[in-house]
Amino acid sequence: MIMNEVLLDIKGLHASVEGKEILHGVDLQIRRGEVHAVMGPNGAGKSTLSAVLTGRPGYEVTAGSVSFAGRDLLAMTPEERSWAGLFLSFQYPIEIPGVSMTNFLKAAVQARRKAAGLPELSAAEFLALIKQKMALLKMKPEFAKREVNVGFSGGEKKRGEIFQMAMLDPVLSILDETDSGLDVDALKIVAEGVNSLKTPQTSAIIITHYHKLLEYIVPDVVHVLKEGRIVRTGGRELADRIEAEGFEGIDG
Amino acid sequence: MDRLYVIGRDEVPQRITLGAGESLRATFVFPSRVDSALDLTVDLTGPGAELDLAGIFVCADAETVDIRMNVRHLAGGCKSNQLFRGVADGRSNVRFDGLVYVAPDAQKTEAHQSCNSLLLNEGARVQTDPQLEIYADDVICSHGAAIGYLSADEMFYMRSRGIPEEEARRLQIMSFLSPVLSRLPESAYSLIGFQR
Amino acid sequence: MDEKLVDITSKQYKEGFVTDVEQEYVPKGLSEQIIRQISAIKQEPQWLLEFRLDAFRKWQKMTPPTWGHLKLPEIDFQDIIYYAAPKKDADRPKEIDPKLQETFDKLGIPISEREVLAGVKSKVAVDAVFDSVSVTTTFRKALAEKGIIFCSFSEAVREHPELVRKYLATVVPSGDNFYAALNSAVFSDGSFCYIPKGVKCPMDLSSYFRINASGTGQFERTLIVADEGSQVSYMEGCTAPMRDEHQLHAAVVEIVVEAGADVRYSTVQNWYPGDDQGRGGILNLVTKRGICKGEGSHLSWTQVETGSAITWKYPSTILKGDNSASEFYSVALTNNYQQADTGTKMIHLGRNTKSRIISKGISAGHSQNSYRGLVRMNPGAAGARNYSQCDSLLIGSLCGAHTFPVIQNSCPKAIVEHEATTSKISEDQLFYCNQRGIPPEEAVGLIVNGYAKEVLQRLPMEFAIEAQKLLSVSLEGSIG
Repeated sequence: MIMNEVLLDIKGLHASVEGKEILHGVDLQIRRGEVHAVMGPNGAGKSTLSAVLTGRPGYEVTAGSVSFAGRDLLAMTPEERSWAGLFLSFQYPIEIPGVSMTNFLKAAVQARRKAAGLPELSAAEFLALIKQKMALLKMKPEFAKREVNVGFSGGEKKRGEIFQMAMLDPVLSILDETDSGLDVDALKIVAEGVNSLKTPQTSAIIITHYHKLLEYIVPDVVHVLKEGRIVRTGGRELADRIEAEGFEGIDG
Repeated sequence: MDRLYVIGRDEVPQRITLGAGESLRATFVFPSRVDSALDLTVDLTGPGAELDLAGIFVCADAETVDIRMNVRHLAGGCKSNQLFRGVADGRSNVRFDGLVYVAPDAQKTEAHQSCNSLLLNEGARVQTDPQLEIYADDVICSHGAAIGYLSADEMFYMRSRGIPEEEARRLQIMSFLSPVLSRLPESAYSLIGFQR
Repeated sequence: MDEKLVDITSKQYKEGFVTDVEQEYVPKGLSEQIIRQISAIKQEPQWLLEFRLDAFRKWQKMTPPTWGHLKLPEIDFQDIIYYAAPKKDADRPKEIDPKLQETFDKLGIPISEREVLAGVKSKVAVDAVFDSVSVTTTFRKALAEKGIIFCSFSEAVREHPELVRKYLATVVPSGDNFYAALNSAVFSDGSFCYIPKGVKCPMDLSSYFRINASGTGQFERTLIVADEGSQVSYMEGCTAPMRDEHQLHAAVVEIVVEAGADVRYSTVQNWYPGDDQGRGGILNLVTKRGICKGEGSHLSWTQVETGSAITWKYPSTILKGDNSASEFYSVALTNNYQQADTGTKMIHLGRNTKSRIISKGISAGHSQNSYRGLVRMNPGAAGARNYSQCDSLLIGSLCGAHTFPVIQNSCPKAIVEHEATTSKISEDQLFYCNQRGIPPEEAVGLIVNGYAKEVLQRLPMEFAIEAQKLLSVSLEGSIG
């Protein structure tokens, strides 16, 4: 594995929802070890981009290509994308009543190992793993016993997503509006978690329309997505400019 | 369309068909102290059809109220909502039989039905048979039915505020009936024994 | 998801094997003669033969009920063998035929006390019924020390005729319905259990029913009596081989709960459901009823129904004693061409009686799944309450989910509440699981198990684990 090799390569991506085109040709390249921020106003297509990359049903790709670690991402099922190392922290994490976080993650971890041709973890190994990751993110042990996202506060849901990210060791994490609904303390905890999981081999896309999270997770590259296109790409100073001036003045 | 039907006074249809985009809001009043019956089939046959139906009965004597509703979602993308509230006092006998049918392929159906009654006297009787028969999967359907009595806590609360028992009872009944009562013109209140 | 819904249905019914064991049969068909023959084989007393013949005469005048939301194939009652039993080995009458031992081992049913005592299996007493006879009942001695009687129905008739006679058909009269009358006429074996006054049963009791012989029906009869202040948890399991023809299972279960007694009755029903084209499978037409006879008695039903081509079953409770309580927790899963019409009746007679109904229906494939229930508050049931929640989950667009509750209230001091919802399995939940790497079929199993958790957690531990696996396996092929 070479550092700086292109991990994700999006070319001319057009995508529609219910027959309406939302992405009008997105180009984006992410290398290993890089953190990219995708910023943009409401309705710019940010969440559509994350949905298309992860293969959410209801989103149709009409043109373009996406390669991920050299594979045709768009030809893969959602779970195959997950096994390949793609992780989405959902903007609105889904509740699964009656299923404990432990059982949910066990199913996820074992499926991934099976796909990779690895033996399943024993119950003891799995518990050790879950304990280790919870300690890393300073989470209370009860958390693993709770039903997936059921009765979670907004902050707990987002921390839960980062915890799952830690459990699944992704190669590319997409954090979709992970900052929305978080107070500053929760934001710091989430950012710490993300930063602690960062390696030179792994990359992240931070989708946000605020500047705040980027104070804690410093991006290498900042993109501005407007009306379904990336209209500007720059360094972190671009985020500072948006903070000062808003999205109004930024065009392609 | 917004219609009010008084059973026994108005001509009541036995079958209503709502085609694409059509909607109907109808309220049925079962007047007190007389036997009354409703046997109605509503077919939703085109996408976007919407039915908003309500009924109210206040049985005070020995009357029989017999309600048979059959709401059939024959096309997808339709909505129906049925709301029945009633009271059975005296030696009255109430029967509610309400079927919601969703045909195969009637996807994106939303259908709800609720029938709640108060049973106020030993000699009175209520039977409620809500039924869902569903052959399409992309649906949101529900029904609820309850048969109970007036809350003693509420009663005590009102009396402790100086409201006499009879008045408190009337207020409680009105509060229970209010979701449907609010759809009636005040002129119709006397039909169910409420004076204004 | 819809476009991905293919009925490749590779449903794995791992209990579908046949045991090759020599059996004795009565001739095919039903007549007074056959009934006399069954009674004679079992060396029954005259009163029991008369009970059977009386039921048979009632049955002859009855017609099968048609109110279920079911398409029942026509049953030729003359084309069924009403009694089949493995031949006894004359040389070793005390021991279980090794082939039967092997069968129950394969099914994971602990019919050897040694294994249980060694801690390999959790401590549970088992009555194992193979076709028409009980082949063994474990821990009888240990239970007898506490005065508990747990044995096959046939033995109870021989050894405790006064108890059987006192309680038989007191909850389900012989003419109660078509299938109960049939059972009363031809019932073969089943379990009997009696818990004496004030005794807390030290281990779970269970009956395991296995249909093996071809062309037969199983007509077991179970009678549970919990005397004043006693407690027992009872479990029932069942399986059958895979065959192209339907086989009839018409059982009767009666439960008598005296004052202050507590009975928990759990079923995991895994009869052969037929193949993916709807060929074969068990016709499960069962009458189960209990009576909370005395003050403060309690009866709890928990059922997980995944098997059978057709299920017609309404475990019910008559709440006669004041302050008695009953619950019905049910998960019914249908796939392929299975049909289930199942639910409960709660009849409130006593004051301050309480009942609770939680039903979770899951329909997949081309199946039809109905909840049918009755809650009745009689005039004397002052202070009585019922709450019912019936949810249906649809997986795929070719199945049906139906809810038919009847709610009758004649008591102005009683409250009945019923709520029902029907919706399809959530695409958001499926995608969320997929994004975490959980493949679609496994995701459906996980979501369905979560959906059914409220019921599953009522089951005794070992049963709950089995039921969870069963739900996932039964859904195989429901999504491509």
